[in-house]
Amino acid sequence: MDIELIKVALGGLALLVCIGLFFGIGLALAAHKFAVQANPKVEAVLEVLAGAQ
Amino acid sequence: MRHIERQKIFLLGAAILMVLISLAGCKTQHRFVDKTAFKGSHDIVLTFAAPVDADWARDASNYRVCEKPDPDIRLDIAGIHLSADRRIVDLHFQEALNQGQPHVVTLHNIMSEGKSLGDETVNVKKLYLGFLFSILIGAMLIHNFVFTKYLGLCVFFGTSQKKTTAVGMGITFTLVIVASAMMSWALYQFVLKPYHLNFLQIIVFIGLVSLSVQAVDTVLRKINPALFKAFGVYLVLVIANCIILAVPLILADNEYNAWESLMLALGAGLGFLIALFLMSSVRERLELANVPPTYRGLPIAFVVAGLFALAFLGFSGMSIF
Repeated sequence: MDIELIKVALGGLALLVCIGLFFGIGLALAAHKFAVQANPKVEAVLEVLAGAQ
Repeated sequence: MRHIERQKIFLLGAAILMVLISLAGCKTQHRFVDKTAFKGSHDIVLTFAAPVDADWARDASNYRVCEKPDPDIRLDIAGIHLSADRRIVDLHFQEALNQGQPHVVTLHNIMSEGKSLGDETVNVKKLYLGFLFSILIGAMLIHNFVFTKYLGLCVFFGTSQKKTTAVGMGITFTLVIVASAMMSWALYQFVLKPYHLNFLQIIVFIGLVSLSVQAVDTVLRKINPALFKAFGVYLVLVIANCIILAVPLILADNEYNAWESLMLALGAGLGFLIALFLMSSVRERLELANVPPTYRGLPIAFVVAGLFALAFLGFSGMSIF
């Protein structure tokens, strides 16, 4: 096997891991910071109501 | 009140980020070639970062120049002029250059101060507002993604039944495509290209698209619930649109810089908005028309889309400036 090709493949793997970690953590932080409190009662009421549409 | 403040800060941050990216984007070529430009009708001027060797610069076999769409047709160099500080090379051609097309210049084994700096390929483009405008209009009308490239049809037929949903989808799509195309451009120019990871383009671009959709979804839900409700299900539908993947691939293929990428993304988004609006206007009328039962619904919509595509064919071959 060509050592150069292995290097490129490992580089690609490292890049994907980095992007995944970076944006994953970023999204998690954003979701935490911009969290919206949903009232569970709203959904419970909607479920009981007749849903014609 | 606090909502408005936060929104303003968010918008300001986004604007500053865009400007920074754009400024960085003015220089995406090889680090040793500072500038490339057309001069007059017969000349291409290359500016290097440091003096090059005179023997290397005056040898015409070290240059290979062709138009981007025709890489097989080599243009003949009639003369080479080197400036006194040996940093500016002026290539004179026998025939007038077709400046509407970007040109590709391949430099073999650049020699500077007795050292070899390897081969390099650079693009020469007319860079002024008219060129940007032609990219915008080209993506919007002449090469409209829906009517001439037949991309994004599933979302196109799904959301073009009513004018309000069509416009909502078009605007959401334009915002998301501009954001994700700019991110893809930056990642391609600064990470994928320098490290020879071009083969990961598609995976990385898909990831960026879903990321930007998810980010807009999360942030908008908190910051502007009214707008979020207006966007509704369309925000998630954007991921299922293939135009949003086509644009980063095209701009990576053409080596566009930041401004050109912005124009292409904006043109693609606005073109989709126009297509959706036209289609929804017709389909609202079709509801009232006496359509044969076999053709009701999607079949007649496909027929109408075909007619629109024919009409848009009238733009083909047009060039601006």
